[in-house]
Amino acid sequence: MNFGALLDATTAGALDVAWLANQLEPLSEPGRRANERIQPFRPHQEREAQAHADAIARTAKKLGAAEVHAMRDVLRTMPDPLPAIARAAMGEALEDANLLELLRFMDAAVRLQPHVPLDPQAREVLQILEPGRAGKFGFYLSEKFDAALSSARAAADRAQAEFDASRGRLAQRVAADLRRDEIPGSEFIVMRDTIDLLPRGVRVVREAPTYFLCELDLDEAALESLRRRDAAAQAVATAEESVRARVSQALRERAKALEALVELVGELDVHLAHVRFTQQYRCAPAHIVSEPVLRFSNARYLPLEAELEAQGRPYEPVSVDLSGAVVLTGPNMGGKSVALRTCGSIAVLAAFGIPVPAETAGCALFDDVAWLGIGAQEELGGLLSSFAREVVRLNELLARPAAVGLLLVDEFARTTTPHEGKALLVALIRVLQRRGRLAFIATHLDGIAADARVRHFAVRGLKNVPKGAPAGDLQAALAALADSMDYAVYEVTDGGVRQADAVALAHLLGLDDDIVAEAADVLRSERTTS
Amino acid sequence: MRIGDALLDLARAHGRRSVFVVGTGKNAGKTVAMRAMADAAVARGLRLGITSIGRDGEAVDASDALAKPRLFLRPGTILATARRLLPSHPASELLDFTPWNTAAGPVAFMRVRQAAHYELAGPSTAGGVRACVRRFAEFGCDQIIVDGALDRVAALAGGEDAVVVAAGAATARTIEEAVADVRALAARLGVPRFEQGAPYVRVDGALTAAHASRLVSAREERQVVVRDPTQIALSGKALLGVVSQLRLRCERPLHVVAATIASIGADRYFEPREFARAVASATGLPTFDVYAGEMASAA
Repeated sequence: MNFGALLDATTAGALDVAWLANQLEPLSEPGRRANERIQPFRPHQEREAQAHADAIARTAKKLGAAEVHAMRDVLRTMPDPLPAIARAAMGEALEDANLLELLRFMDAAVRLQPHVPLDPQAREVLQILEPGRAGKFGFYLSEKFDAALSSARAAADRAQAEFDASRGRLAQRVAADLRRDEIPGSEFIVMRDTIDLLPRGVRVVREAPTYFLCELDLDEAALESLRRRDAAAQAVATAEESVRARVSQALRERAKALEALVELVGELDVHLAHVRFTQQYRCAPAHIVSEPVLRFSNARYLPLEAELEAQGRPYEPVSVDLSGAVVLTGPNMGGKSVALRTCGSIAVLAAFGIPVPAETAGCALFDDVAWLGIGAQEELGGLLSSFAREVVRLNELLARPAAVGLLLVDEFARTTTPHEGKALLVALIRVLQRRGRLAFIATHLDGIAADARVRHFAVRGLKNVPKGAPAGDLQAALAALADSMDYAVYEVTDGGVRQADAVALAHLLGLDDDIVAEAADVLRSERTTS
Repeated sequence: MRIGDALLDLARAHGRRSVFVVGTGKNAGKTVAMRAMADAAVARGLRLGITSIGRDGEAVDASDALAKPRLFLRPGTILATARRLLPSHPASELLDFTPWNTAAGPVAFMRVRQAAHYELAGPSTAGGVRACVRRFAEFGCDQIIVDGALDRVAALAGGEDAVVVAAGAATARTIEEAVADVRALAARLGVPRFEQGAPYVRVDGALTAAHASRLVSAREERQVVVRDPTQIALSGKALLGVVSQLRLRCERPLHVVAATIASIGADRYFEPREFARAVASATGLPTFDVYAGEMASAA
């Protein structure tokens, strides 16, 4: 899948697109080739994207997970026949290993019925290869291909038996002369002190002070049977080559049909990868719309959900409704970044026409999904400060010619003075609004949404202040936080937002008690002053 | 005497079905010993599975261009070899492809349908070799022969195979040197099972030269126990030194059943009987000279 057509490496890293790509990976080589060809749907292809996602959802509903698993198992073990088809198409005689690959591929295609239609030419290929089927999974260039092969092999077996007998008689006589039980291999040694003369039929290959290294010196009869054996072996070789050439020619004539079948199988592999994803992660097709909006209910950011699941911790889905530029506020660790990542991954999946991990979703086809801020990998040099890097990146993002872009901004200008940071952020939002860009902007700064006159969402935050976890026990602290945090995102309509919970969180995470107490004092005195 | 039969009898004792032939170096006579066992197995009507760790059975050694014994295999034999080494003629029955890669392509299983010479290049990893032995059993092989490699003894771990060690004139300058090498190899692979109830110190992972040296310096008198002999990362004189000073033991012993000798090297000869007697005496193993058709035993 060409994710690069939709997002840059920085955004891909922030959204953990590698995880997504891994989950959507097909299993066979034809599948991987088909996967590489996949491009995101572009704006104005809403109908096609919708149809694609609906088709995946239909298959996911129609087939049980076990059936999908069984079909994917067929694809996983299926060989890639394309190199063999290419060789046949070029007029080469295929090797038996190629023919076995083709036979196994055809068997896999049959097992994938009715999801891959087999045209008459493809069925003929099965008939062509059938005489080679050996056992359950094997292939042998058997005599069923050609009667001439049968007679050549029978002659070769006779010739081999004659030679074995001829050599065996010689070996037996030599063994008897040397008072041995047998002459086993092609070379043997004879100790000088055991004989006066070497027996007839023995040839010295090398001499050592105490022994001779010898081999059997074939007599005329044995040599003649050896010549007959070699000639018979050559006749077998000729007959085998003739069969291979004939089978390869028959496959060459059907190469186009085979190539088309390989392509269909690859596409099915991709489809089933998406179906498995849809089933496993309980996805639903987004309603693809032409307006630049992104809305969903009870959506999940899958990499985090999987991580929490592995730890036995619950995941709280979020619901968001974005149009234009929207501000998101909330406490530390409240899930602002996760909400942004959820938006990004849903936009990416929808762009590829794949169902999304949400109860319901409506989504435009974005041609650019971009991430700015925390979590982005820093690609620029160390000479620039964090702020400078953000500015350079923002400039680059704004310059992109996206028709329908989604910008996800996580704590822009967090490293400069709050006063100027706020001014910059408000200005950015106003510009984005004017340019009609869809943007989700997470910040800690107060009053941004009001000043920029845009919609304001917030994470609810701590339901209650949890008791401090034992010092140093981060896992216990995170578990306590999960129990106390309300990750729900809601739209702020009355202008009032709860205070952030940084001090309580710092306490929970085990910050020094003196610092926590002092911070609480400072906050109390500020409230009294105001 | 029939050397192949004698070797096979020792290898198959206690119901074992697989045998690894491990040499002290290149051209130690492994292939000749293996061929003798293979012929004996076929003559008995056993269904034979045969492979090599890495490459073997070529007419000419790929690394030193010396002539090597070839493997003439009979119909019914199953072999695991690299796909590019599958002969075009005579055609064989292809049974399966595997994901185990070699320099000559992935390993495939095939059944010989017509007698011919074959090249072997089986899996090169320990895991691949163990899986290969299991597959042979699945194909119904009654006897499995693996042409081993000194630097791949890890493949013996976790198996119930018999082991034949091979020493040859090609691997050392003198008989004494060749005997010391095979003695060290047999001592390493033949480390006995640890004694239950006696004090011991367990080595997790490999016993390296540095670790062994520390144990010797500390005058360790308890049993030094490794998981299996393949975990002993010592050879030659270093190993013999450690064996004489430590009570090396293991949890899963291997079954070294015999030694073979090849007294002919490319540029030297050893006196065969003296060589065989010395190997038998040093290893305590029945020692076979496949070329001479003779056996020597420890006095």
